[in-house]
Amino acid sequence: MVAALEPVDVVIVGAGICGTMLAAKLGAGGKKIVVLEQGPERAPADLISSQLWSRRLKWSGPPVETAGSDPTGYRFNTGWGVGGSGIHHYAQWPRLKPEDFRTHSLYGKAVDWPIGYDDLRPYYDQVQAEVGISGDHHAEVWRPPGDPYPMAPLLTTPQADMLAKGFAALGLRTAPMPLAINSVPYKGRPACIYDGWCDSGCPIGALANPFVTYLPLARQAGAEFRSSCSVTRILTDAAGKRATAAEYYDAHHQRQIQPGALIVLAANGIQNVRLLLNSARPGHETGLANRSGAVGRYFMAHLAMPSSGMFNQDLQNYLGVTGGALLNQDGYGKYRPDGPFGSYTWAISSARKPNDIIGIANTEGTLFGAAYDRFLKAAVRGLATMMGVGEILPKAENRIIYGDGKDAFGFPAMKIVLSADDNMRALAATIRAEGLKVMVAAGASQIWAPNDVNWQHLIGGHRMGSDPDQSVCDSYGITHEISNLVLTGTGIFPTEGATHPTFSSHALTQRTAEYVLKNWAGLG
Amino acid sequence: MTEPRFEPNAPRRAILAGAALSGLVFMVGGMARLLTPAEAYAADLPLALLTDGERHALEAVTEVLLPGTTAAGIAHYIDHQIAGPPGDCLLFARAVDVALPYAAFYQSALAAIDAAATERHGAPFANLSPQARIALVTAMRDGTLQKWLGPPAPFVFFVLRNDATDVVYGTVAGFDRLGVPYMPHIAPPTPW
Repeated sequence: MVAALEPVDVVIVGAGICGTMLAAKLGAGGKKIVVLEQGPERAPADLISSQLWSRRLKWSGPPVETAGSDPTGYRFNTGWGVGGSGIHHYAQWPRLKPEDFRTHSLYGKAVDWPIGYDDLRPYYDQVQAEVGISGDHHAEVWRPPGDPYPMAPLLTTPQADMLAKGFAALGLRTAPMPLAINSVPYKGRPACIYDGWCDSGCPIGALANPFVTYLPLARQAGAEFRSSCSVTRILTDAAGKRATAAEYYDAHHQRQIQPGALIVLAANGIQNVRLLLNSARPGHETGLANRSGAVGRYFMAHLAMPSSGMFNQDLQNYLGVTGGALLNQDGYGKYRPDGPFGSYTWAISSARKPNDIIGIANTEGTLFGAAYDRFLKAAVRGLATMMGVGEILPKAENRIIYGDGKDAFGFPAMKIVLSADDNMRALAATIRAEGLKVMVAAGASQIWAPNDVNWQHLIGGHRMGSDPDQSVCDSYGITHEISNLVLTGTGIFPTEGATHPTFSSHALTQRTAEYVLKNWAGLG
Repeated sequence: MTEPRFEPNAPRRAILAGAALSGLVFMVGGMARLLTPAEAYAADLPLALLTDGERHALEAVTEVLLPGTTAAGIAHYIDHQIAGPPGDCLLFARAVDVALPYAAFYQSALAAIDAAATERHGAPFANLSPQARIALVTAMRDGTLQKWLGPPAPFVFFVLRNDATDVVYGTVAGFDRLGVPYMPHIAPPTPW
């Protein structure tokens, strides 16, 4: 029998973006916080400018299997250690749009969110002011109502300027990508210097990673971060009505019980599902808070459809930011009378280094030998790229389930099952075709794009909703069945739109923090 | 055509101090030394896990994928990484969900390559003619090998091509060979 540790007000599982933000907000509200992080402690000095060394920032926990007809990658989308994937995220921060919240009402597809854009807008605005976003709200004609960006856009690069000509030639519009990267010094953080290492982490703090946003605020507020602690289950009271503690194994593999009045799951969506499933008990036989059967279901990723073109100029594509200087959302309208359903966004002109998944090497996957060497030498000068981010709809059969392996503590490892349907493939083909047209219009001497469906982002798996029979939690992330168990992050999204999800996760977390502090007495 | 130049009016970057890092530590004469894989190859240091046969297959197949891998120390790099703790691993395999242990992936992949070479030509991959090597790598890429006993051949092609790119061009020295300014915020602990 392990003696329980001293109880705290809030136990947060996961020290990524949502966990550090909640720790900062609830800590500032006077709550005593413990954050349990599976990976190691991290510091800005770990953010080595290298596509090799930065692989250490990616998941190194229990294996996660991937399956289905179109499996998605896992580790690439995740983090490992305090700061989580926020350390190496690209800081593309567009907002979801009003129609993203009402897919069922407007189009008879999928489900509506239990909240609308107007409910979330104030929190987008608050986070935007706190963290800082560079952008141009006038040029970004697709942007829903919101406060102007606090910083002017970042500079464009020769690569971006070249691709913008291609969009313009087709009658399509471009605008600066809204980026949580400083174009000028902001709140004590320096401006970006365009070295293109965002993917390896930004140690100077121009990019809004947790090291320079909410992690220091959480620590100032007294939150205690315990790294190398693997949470295995959430414990409940005898009736199964209240969460009582997080069970975890510390850095010495000793079992510990950390009681808390409020338990927050702020790991990524796959790991949140793991904890809910692991915590099955009488009254919650299929997993904690899973009466609906929705835990693990309705998993989504974004279609990630790159287009590439070779130009006869030095575009200095190693400069800029990984997330891209520009965006285009002319394809955001979901309904096409003669085409596939779903929104898409172009992230234009990513800064690319020679190697790694998003490096120049993998923009072309078939060449080898001397031809590959010639390609690399040409592409470091003349390659231009952009990424089409496409929406898929949630399907119950795209799931997060137990896999075949075990973790170090005897609990099952996880598996992500993802298969594209005909509409998803058709939308991917639409994006691909448009991307190639843009490359031609921009003057590329060679153009190419993969035919396969590719993915990015991990979304859904424990979705919010108004109906407890169809969803796991409410719009604050509070589970329908256990009122002191809160879920955060992209896992609670019922649908995904075609926007990069980090800003929306921040806004939702801000809203949850406010609600929890105002309604503390009523939780649990 | 005039080449565009991008010269942002930004302050000069600062090279920040990195954390205390192990780098790539090789044992030389009983002493631990920080070496690049190329230096370890030039010093002919023994490998920890890969057999001679696996090394020959790895060097031969990656030379087909991207010339220069052998001298860049591909065998010492892979061997060093698969012999260490997975949490410290720098391999591309880590980023693309290769199951642990990474050594098993490489050993089974290299065994499959040699088995395929032997089945087609009666000799391990490293002993094949240049034309036969290219034909076999092409078949790996295209997934057209009839008898293949390892991880999916196109995936092996994908991972090994990335490993080859990492050691030849993914380093400070590699960027220099491509003429790409490295411009680190925090420089890697070794220049390879």
